[in-house]
Amino acid sequence: MKGNIIKYARDNIDTDVIIPGQYLKVHDYAELATHAMEGLDPDFHSKVKEGDFILSGKNFGCGSSREHAPIALSHSGVKAILALSFARIFYRNSVDGAFLLPIEIDQDAYDGISEGDEIDIDVSKNEIKNITKNQTYKMKPFSEIIGKIIAAGGLFKYKPDQD
Amino acid sequence: MGKTLFEKIWESHIVVEKQNEPALIYIDRHLVHEVTSPQAFDGLRMNNRKVRRPDLTIATMDHNVPTSDRSLPILDQTSAVQIKTLENNCRDFGIKLFDINSPNQGIVHVIGPQLGITLPGSTIVCGDSHTSTHGAFGALALGIGTSEVEHVLASQTLWLEKPKTFEIRVEGKRNNPHAVTAKDIILSIIKNIGTAGGTGTVIEYRGEGITDLSMDQRMTICNMSIEGGARAGLIAPDQKTFDYLRNREYTPKNYESLVDSWKVNLKTDSDATFDKTFTLDINDIAPQVSWGTNPGMTCDVDESIPSPDEFSNGDDNQKRGAEKALEYMDLESGTMIEDIAIDRVFIGSCTNARLEDLIEASKIVQGQKVASSVSAMVVPGSQMVKKQAEEMGLDKIFINANFEWREAGCSMCLGMNPDILSPGERCASTSNRNFEGRQGNGGRTHLVSPVMAAAAAINGHFVDVRKLDLN
Repeated sequence: MKGNIIKYARDNIDTDVIIPGQYLKVHDYAELATHAMEGLDPDFHSKVKEGDFILSGKNFGCGSSREHAPIALSHSGVKAILALSFARIFYRNSVDGAFLLPIEIDQDAYDGISEGDEIDIDVSKNEIKNITKNQTYKMKPFSEIIGKIIAAGGLFKYKPDQD
Repeated sequence: MGKTLFEKIWESHIVVEKQNEPALIYIDRHLVHEVTSPQAFDGLRMNNRKVRRPDLTIATMDHNVPTSDRSLPILDQTSAVQIKTLENNCRDFGIKLFDINSPNQGIVHVIGPQLGITLPGSTIVCGDSHTSTHGAFGALALGIGTSEVEHVLASQTLWLEKPKTFEIRVEGKRNNPHAVTAKDIILSIIKNIGTAGGTGTVIEYRGEGITDLSMDQRMTICNMSIEGGARAGLIAPDQKTFDYLRNREYTPKNYESLVDSWKVNLKTDSDATFDKTFTLDINDIAPQVSWGTNPGMTCDVDESIPSPDEFSNGDDNQKRGAEKALEYMDLESGTMIEDIAIDRVFIGSCTNARLEDLIEASKIVQGQKVASSVSAMVVPGSQMVKKQAEEMGLDKIFINANFEWREAGCSMCLGMNPDILSPGERCASTSNRNFEGRQGNGGRTHLVSPVMAAAAAINGHFVDVRKLDLN
């Protein structure tokens, strides 16, 4: 999966800046997407392209349980978030609805990847290739449980292994 | 080896659990509100599914209800639609709804316990991160997203990864329990463990500093567990818990026999171990005031704002975060907290809008006036809290001091209804999140206790409430 990076070099990006509360009444996902990241980066909507990835620091998606947050990012075209760590509800919401991939990275990847870099994520090898800089980093593998929900295509498609 | 309270509740709710698979957990109570439920009901309709246990599902409207005169129509059309949608969904699927005109309407996390719906040892979910509040009663209470709301509506179960356990011991006694409150304890905890300190864990709060607290205060503690990143917060039920829930509108008929079994079963065994432990000594803690844009950016009321270097301990992102926070908050390092002037005061939210919160705040306000530079409001957590407060004459105390006295709802905690800050306005708020724009685009939030908020309203700036006579 290839895409370009939009980097927010900070920790604790919360769901209130990902999609401010006033838009939680919006039911049209395309319209919701026009307000993604509005609380942090008013230019986000004009610069994000289909297939982009967001790179950020620790505790991405902290705060409210609003599933509107991964939905707004997903409908903006964002396919994955690469972060040093994630808040749990955001993480689960991202995979439950198959909105986007939450990918935990290490400090090398965080430091090495810059705004605009072209990245190739290979989940089967747990590898992130930086095509722009010709570097390769490890991603933290999904837990077996989360991997199965992702592979199934979301919570409602998941069925436990049969004995 | 012994088991923790969390493990006991978890194990008693397993439907299916296999190695390296999520566990399917049974849900005893599902609380529903207007914001995170519409897509879930749409999903049920699309797949021709029913709500499996409408009798275990309870709904109210709280996030975007107006808190002004309820005899008037709702002007914000999108809010009106969302409220109407919940009414339709509850009618179509046979779910009990406390609507905008119900005497039981209120913030979902305030009404659950008040109605006796929240019970010890049960599993409770809601499409809202502050569901952790119900953990104060020894319930495993989890905030979930809308896909999971749909899953619970359809099946009364959830696929969950088993969380780790985190013991937070609160030791000692507060010198002045009217000035140093549960809010100050939980803000101190988050300041110490950080906003991600509890990630992936269920916290059990233990120790003398916790058992000393009333139920209203314990709810404030558990409410903000999510601000420390935890999946849930728990406090083992005791006599205070059992007394609180007795004779409520929805208290089960066999309550006393339930209490007998809870007394035996709902505690952490003495030889149980936790994955992680933190201890806070509260003998000398001060009232807390947040200065930044997450709840971990908090200091004592008699301190000055730290420099980004002091705050960050050498972590670049923390430093940059503190710099951005100070810029957003329009504050400088070294400024004394008591020198910060405020424009607005909000006493409300699922963190601090219960009867005891209003009683404590009213003691500061009694016979005083809100500073001329400040506009202040009280938004009771539920219509029942409002009624009880009015029976005690608290509304008069607040109104005479020039506070606005409103109807129940989430209100200015998250800026979904008309109660919002204007850009640049600075607010002393009893809510739970000081994120950028949380209370309105460009608004600046300082998290404090109800007594600290009340004192700030009267003085126009933060004051150390330990200096006031509060007894």
